[in-house]
Amino acid sequence: MAEARWLEVSLTVDGEMAEAVSEVLNRFVSQGVVVEQAVQYNDAEDLGTPYGPVKVYGYLIIDDQIEETRQRLEEALYFIQPLPEANFRAIADENWMESWKKHYHPIPIGEKLLILPAWVEEYDPARIPVRIDPSMAFGTGTHPTTQLCMAMVEKYTLPGKPVIDVGCGSGILSIAALKLGASKAVGVDIDNASVKATDENAEANGVADHLECGVGSVRELRQGHFSLRRAPVVVANILAPVIIRLFDDGLADLVEHGGTLVLSGILAEQAPGVEAAGKARGLEFVERVQQNDWVAIVLRQP
Amino acid sequence: MAKKLKAIVRLQLTAGKANPAPPVGPALAGHGINIMAFCKDYNARTQARAGEVLPAEITIYTDGSFTFILKSPPASVLLKKAAGVEKGSAVPNRDKVGKVTRAQVREIAEIKMKDTNAVDIEDAMRQIEGTARNMGITVVD
Repeated sequence: MAEARWLEVSLTVDGEMAEAVSEVLNRFVSQGVVVEQAVQYNDAEDLGTPYGPVKVYGYLIIDDQIEETRQRLEEALYFIQPLPEANFRAIADENWMESWKKHYHPIPIGEKLLILPAWVEEYDPARIPVRIDPSMAFGTGTHPTTQLCMAMVEKYTLPGKPVIDVGCGSGILSIAALKLGASKAVGVDIDNASVKATDENAEANGVADHLECGVGSVRELRQGHFSLRRAPVVVANILAPVIIRLFDDGLADLVEHGGTLVLSGILAEQAPGVEAAGKARGLEFVERVQQNDWVAIVLRQP
Repeated sequence: MAKKLKAIVRLQLTAGKANPAPPVGPALAGHGINIMAFCKDYNARTQARAGEVLPAEITIYTDGSFTFILKSPPASVLLKKAAGVEKGSAVPNRDKVGKVTRAQVREIAEIKMKDTNAVDIEDAMRQIEGTARNMGITVVD
């Protein structure tokens, strides 16, 4: 292991103390402090609420004066009452530009697909690679909802027919459908970063010519802002409460007669609510698949 | 079990100057965040305000993807600017390093209002005053 170059100092405090502790740390650390808090969900509608203690930390450069610096830091913290305990940990210099990548590996999906981190060169040639550069859009491939939905895309994609992808995120599902022979994919997302990510990933996978992507949702598709108003296969990997709302906007009407709607981003306990919302719009239940506590639901437009 | 959102990380960074060295690297690499993508985007968004401390609040999803928004400068930075001092006091209860007026505290509270959990401007001002006290900056009328 390389020689330690940094001393990480961290304190776990309650929310109100975080600002005061940050200020003290800021006088000593290199660059700025970091404040980290976990997120919990109070109910199915909640998009995430910070909860629990706050971890405040920063990094001191290890030099000749490090012991002295550490002592001065501890003295400064002493004036914050009640006194939070500071933890110190030496860390080596690392190539952080590369080290985050170790969280990603090729992931085989279904019978034929393979999610491939953009930088991986060698892979199983028997599978169809979908290259994804993890970044600012959901759908890096490591989450069960993405994997479930992608397996369903593999099962229901019709070669030569188009696909609509509502909430396309990284574009992973549209790209998978195109690689499986779909004639065209229209992806929409309300987040501009997703549209950009989808375009980049489509380019990296050589399917950009067949993928149309833009900011929008069900309403914009139905109003004809994109080149497809309906498709025989429609996928939506979002979150259960959002999917239920999209049914009100006409999600079911995007599916052609005899076509399939693949829904994901649903916790097992939310599945009955989503299925009921679909049936209320005249859709028929086809199947439900589960991975950990997440499910994907497939419905059919009669 | 895993929901889609994992954590919120606030990083105090200098506009236009994010790089993979600590704190960015170790704080984000452990979450599987694309360090280069974050630095590039932060620097692009903050370019026009180079030199200012502009914290980024990063929302991290369980699959390693993320989004972030820019926050107002930390209260301590605004207080130091208002008091015209370089840094806070090492012994805040004894050595006072500077003064700010209540009007200045209100101004800072107004900037910070949208980023705090304060219920109203008075509450936000109390939080700012608390931070000032911890820095050895006296609030005067």
